[in-house]
Amino acid sequence: MRSNGFGFVAPLLVLMIVAFNVPIIYMLGLGFWDKSRGFSLAPYEALADAPVYLRVLGNTLRISLIATLANVAIGYPLAHWMRGLGNRARMIAIALVILPFWVSILVRTYAWIVVLGNAGIVNRSLQWLGLTEEPVPFLYNELGVTIGMANVLLPFLVLPLFAAMIRIDDRLLQAAASLGAPARTIFWKVYFPLTLPALAAGTLLVFILCLGFYITPAILGGGRVPMISNLLDTLINQIPRWDQAAAISTILLVVTLLIFAAYRRLDRRASGT
Amino acid sequence: MKRRTFVKAAAAGTAAGVSSFAILSSGARAQSKEIRMIEAGGASGDSVQKGYIDPLKAKTGINVVRESPNVFGKLRAIVESGQTGTALFELGAGGLEQAVKLGLVEKVDWAAVNPAPMFPEAKHEYGFGYQYYSNIMAWRKGVKAPKTIAEFFDTKAFPGKRTLPDAMEGTLPFAALAAGVPLDKVFPLDVDLALRKLNEIKKDVAVWWKAGAQPPQLLKDNEVQYAIAYSGRVVGDPAIEVSFVGGKANLSYFAVIKGTKPEDKAAAWKLMHEMSLAENQAKAAAVISYTGPSPDLDALLPKDKLWQFPTTKQNKGVQFVEDAKWWADNGEAVNKKWEAFKLSL
Amino acid sequence: MIGSSPWTRRALAAAGIFGLVFLTVPLLIVIPMSFSSARALTFPPPSLSLRWYETFFGDPRWMEAMWTSIVIAAISSVAALLLGGLAAYGLRRGTFGGRDWAEGNFMAPLVVPTIIAAIALYLGLAKIGLLGSFTGLLLAHTILHVPVVMMVLGVAVRDFDLRIEQVAWSLGASWSYTARRVLLPNLWPSVFAAWIFAFIGSFDEVIVTSFIAGRYETVPKRMFNELILEVNPTITAVATLLIAFTILALAAVALILRRAGKSTLVEGVTAG
Repeated sequence: MRSNGFGFVAPLLVLMIVAFNVPIIYMLGLGFWDKSRGFSLAPYEALADAPVYLRVLGNTLRISLIATLANVAIGYPLAHWMRGLGNRARMIAIALVILPFWVSILVRTYAWIVVLGNAGIVNRSLQWLGLTEEPVPFLYNELGVTIGMANVLLPFLVLPLFAAMIRIDDRLLQAAASLGAPARTIFWKVYFPLTLPALAAGTLLVFILCLGFYITPAILGGGRVPMISNLLDTLINQIPRWDQAAAISTILLVVTLLIFAAYRRLDRRASGT
Repeated sequence: MKRRTFVKAAAAGTAAGVSSFAILSSGARAQSKEIRMIEAGGASGDSVQKGYIDPLKAKTGINVVRESPNVFGKLRAIVESGQTGTALFELGAGGLEQAVKLGLVEKVDWAAVNPAPMFPEAKHEYGFGYQYYSNIMAWRKGVKAPKTIAEFFDTKAFPGKRTLPDAMEGTLPFAALAAGVPLDKVFPLDVDLALRKLNEIKKDVAVWWKAGAQPPQLLKDNEVQYAIAYSGRVVGDPAIEVSFVGGKANLSYFAVIKGTKPEDKAAAWKLMHEMSLAENQAKAAAVISYTGPSPDLDALLPKDKLWQFPTTKQNKGVQFVEDAKWWADNGEAVNKKWEAFKLSL
Repeated sequence: MIGSSPWTRRALAAAGIFGLVFLTVPLLIVIPMSFSSARALTFPPPSLSLRWYETFFGDPRWMEAMWTSIVIAAISSVAALLLGGLAAYGLRRGTFGGRDWAEGNFMAPLVVPTIIAAIALYLGLAKIGLLGSFTGLLLAHTILHVPVVMMVLGVAVRDFDLRIEQVAWSLGASWSYTARRVLLPNLWPSVFAAWIFAFIGSFDEVIVTSFIAGRYETVPKRMFNELILEVNPTITAVATLLIAFTILALAAVALILRRAGKSTLVEGVTAG
């Protein structure tokens, strides 16, 4: 690149400022500014006085972390396995990763009830096999929420990770093998580090998407897993306290952007630019 | 519109001709030929179309364009951004009180609406209460049937899992009733008493539901045996039994958005007049089993289905009506207690 | 992996297959349910029928919603891909000041809770007179899905060796030539992932759309109304049709590439 690259960013920047930045600053500003009192931190003080809303935020971060880890545990081996497949099998695998996208989240949520409910397919099979007498409570708890969210978000991790993995040159791995490195060493010293940037980005993407989940946790959690989107819906649409909703959103935004900044810093250090 | 419905609607129009003539002569103001409304959508929206919009169009030529859904935040965004294209907005009782507090809606010109007789709570200063819907107890056919809300909450004598609404205003009043508060004294709500009662049975509540479709599903899957559900979701289902005793009658309103043009308002009053007519309400009730505010509606409803509707003689008296004003004043404080309770589950 | 033991390979295959099964279990429920004769979502279906397909094709509102959804998703995902892709490139390769701030800002639509973004977009579009318009919807959907594109393509650009680009430039290639002949062929899988995320994100979006779409109906907006108020199995028919269409499209592409002598999609495009 011969210029400083600003030209690449400019079109998006202009669009964002006009249609998004100005109104979002107004919305979040409601947490700091009041028509009658002017500048005030009252909404934040209210949050500090009654920390129940902050506990909901903490709960959201915790559940999102669990669901993200589950995603990594399932997604990394899947992407890695797909890399090693033959061409045709690989095509089929990619198709299977993409197809669930077409089923709306609402319907997929219902499908999990059919599969994992007390009278669901899995529980009936377990009871029929005599493995359990009482149905296993998969749903209406944190486990149900984790399963539902992981299912929806898995492709968001697998596809970019897979894209990074197939860019890795096989000759690099062969070279390491020819130097006598055992498979485990090749994986951890050569292969895994090369996938790390995509893994980090995919993990972060999934985590951020988790934070915004609304319908799936509400239904598969049986109401026992309070999430911040749910609370914000109440604060916007039911007890209209937009100032408090703005304050909570600002805190969420700051926390997430800090995590993002930490990721970018690590990423930059790793790539040495 | 299909031809047959049009003919039917036109016939209804002549029947109601006398009363609409009264308004035509009283106000010769300019009025729009088309107005817009934002409503709940789905079957409820279809009932508004068949019950009220089609007759209005047949009678006056005024068309009403529907848009959905009707989340409260949208109303506030409309007013804040000065959009005056939409005349009517559907609101729950609580939403109406909040909208009044924030100055988002206009007063109803009841003289211009000139309504047929209607229940007093439906004739709000700022809104037309057009649709009653109830939260009632329901249970799987075959389990021991509770006669009162107190029995519904008695998990020893009536063993089985429950599902309750994941919403403070949908659950706390029932808990208060179960704790012994009489039907006419539910409001002002004793929140701490209600929460104590809920704490007693929370381990028997398998699911706190969010979407109205959940309770019938959970009952049929035998995931729970007892539910508090929207009446329209459970009545008439062969696998489910219900009782309106101790039920909560809710009311949905249409209100005119602040800043609506006078000619749009004139058309909105005409639509509200159509909504007050019992024969139109019967048409709406054929689409969704929720009823309008006319005390004379019973005679027009199918005899064998009278037990299914929220406002029929046999059902209206055994329920309590939500006190939306109380919620508007106390909702915020109660929500904090409610969220804390939810975190303790 | 090279030199790994058969046991490791078997364990990996088991884990991979488990992942695929976990992903596709809902499909195994949804597809049979779309052929159900029952009035509500029920599994297993009491008997088979095509009534939900008849409902879908017989109701112009469903067809229209489907068309609207696809057009919005197609246009906004390409716009997000172009704008987000250029910006991701500029941010990774650029040297101008304030890059971190710009990037944080571009991520914001993903991070701000959707309900807040919905109201903000409502107020913003009302200000510029695009509320309830098709252009306004496209604009909103584009902005909302730029962050996903940036996350995916940012990493891909970063991974790609700058020296290869530099060689191309030193040989006198223009930037657009380098992008087309060097960058895109190598980053193709990531570009595809970014595009499909933006497309699906738009296709599934309901909260912002309910606020700003006015009279435009999209499939999720219709579904959402239906699901809160009544469960309508038409949505399972919609899903099944889309799945069938995707499989046919993928098979067609595979066939064309095979005719052209390239054995896979990935290879076909990377071979450029």
